[in-house]
Amino acid sequence: MILKTQLHADAVTARVEIKEANLTVADTFKAELLALIDGGAKYVVVDLEKVVYVDSSFLGALVSALKHAITNKAEIVVCGLNKDVLGLFQLIRLDKAFKIYATAAEALQNH
Amino acid sequence: MPVSKKILLVDDNPLVLEMMGRALSKEGFECMKAASAQQAIQLLQQQLPDIILSDYHMPDVDGFLFRQQLLAHTAYKDIPFMFLTSEVDNQLMLQGINLDAVDYILKDTPVAVVVSKINNFLNTVREQHERTLKELSKAAMSLNLHSVPKTLPMMKGFEADFWHKPFQNYPGGDFIDFIAIDSRYTFIVLGDVMGKKWGAWYFSFGFLSYIRAAVRICIAEGNFSTRSILQKINSVVYHDPVVSDVLSSLSLVLLDNEERTLKYSGAGDLPLLYYNAKDKQVSQVRSAGMLLGLMPDGDFDEIAITPGIGDQLFIFTDGLIDTETPSGKKTDYAAFEAAVSPYLGMPFDEFKKSTFLADKANNQVDDCSLIFLQKTAG
Repeated sequence: MILKTQLHADAVTARVEIKEANLTVADTFKAELLALIDGGAKYVVVDLEKVVYVDSSFLGALVSALKHAITNKAEIVVCGLNKDVLGLFQLIRLDKAFKIYATAAEALQNH
Repeated sequence: MPVSKKILLVDDNPLVLEMMGRALSKEGFECMKAASAQQAIQLLQQQLPDIILSDYHMPDVDGFLFRQQLLAHTAYKDIPFMFLTSEVDNQLMLQGINLDAVDYILKDTPVAVVVSKINNFLNTVREQHERTLKELSKAAMSLNLHSVPKTLPMMKGFEADFWHKPFQNYPGGDFIDFIAIDSRYTFIVLGDVMGKKWGAWYFSFGFLSYIRAAVRICIAEGNFSTRSILQKINSVVYHDPVVSDVLSSLSLVLLDNEERTLKYSGAGDLPLLYYNAKDKQVSQVRSAGMLLGLMPDGDFDEIAITPGIGDQLFIFTDGLIDTETPSGKKTDYAAFEAAVSPYLGMPFDEFKKSTFLADKANNQVDDCSLIFLQKTAG
């Protein structure tokens, strides 16, 4: 398990429990996110607070999960991005696809 | 391929862990240590070793059960595994071999012998891996699959060239294509299939053909708008169940040799760098489009540029801006821009020989690709 999940009234927070989010964890990460969506979660907050680096495989997994979420009328938002990760999201326009919040609490408030 | 020697030691006896750890560190191994199978799994979630050396007798989860757990997990099942045991029972050994454990080491074996056994084993794995890679590359070549062009386009008003270093010599991942339509128009394509893993490079060849075909179909229909071409490709990829799960960035540039202009649209690609020869200034060219296949409407735009003589345009993938720092890997576009700027403006042959690209090749953490375009006097 690389996601630590917490259930809220109508949302799930999923904290990524690793520092370097790369291809070695991308498949597991995607499988765990898909399981949340398939389990009925309609609003998933992916918390990247502990993550210092993401590679393109990991982003691919996140984006692929987002597509799955949209098909299932669910939403994935992200929070806790460090400066570099946020910079990367903006550079490749992932900020257009994901709502980005500073903290999980803020993401839950805006739900 | 760099010689990597990361080992995960699993033993409930702290003394054995400490002793083996010390002996292996002296031999250049990077050691991860776990006092139980549960702890080992936790460490594996952080990073993957090149080999696992595990005790057999452990409380709760013993070595065999641990091995079974690893075999059930796609990410861990192929990591070479050795048992360190005091057991000499043949029956147990047979059971272990059925679990694809590659070897046994008895605990009273002298440490020097243990180290050489591990070294020999890792060398065999590496040689096997390189042989397989060579075979696959040969197969790809004989099928005429290339992820980068074999020749450069000859154009009147522009010079185009590229630099490409696949990560650890795995082909694929990034792809480059030059499509000369006629003496007037040439398309330049740079893509990065996200997800560099063993299977990805087969896929990127397929994906490259897919994109190449899509671009050519658009052009055959008389479509010379990079924005509209990206929109069409995006829509096809988004709705095609075979490829919709794979994401790719794409930079598409159309050179007009007659008007001496260029048009650019990007899909989730990194901002290009533009070198203005007159002012000797470097600036970013940012497109608006999202990764191919991400959304039904990729929000693409089209940027028209009329370059001056000597102006240069650089298109590249994220492997170039990722660096390994003492505190871990980093993605830092601004630092890359600052570091590369002094090299822009020079002829590309010189840039290719520069220490900047040599350093990138030595320290790369992913595929690195760079396309160079320059407006020439001709």
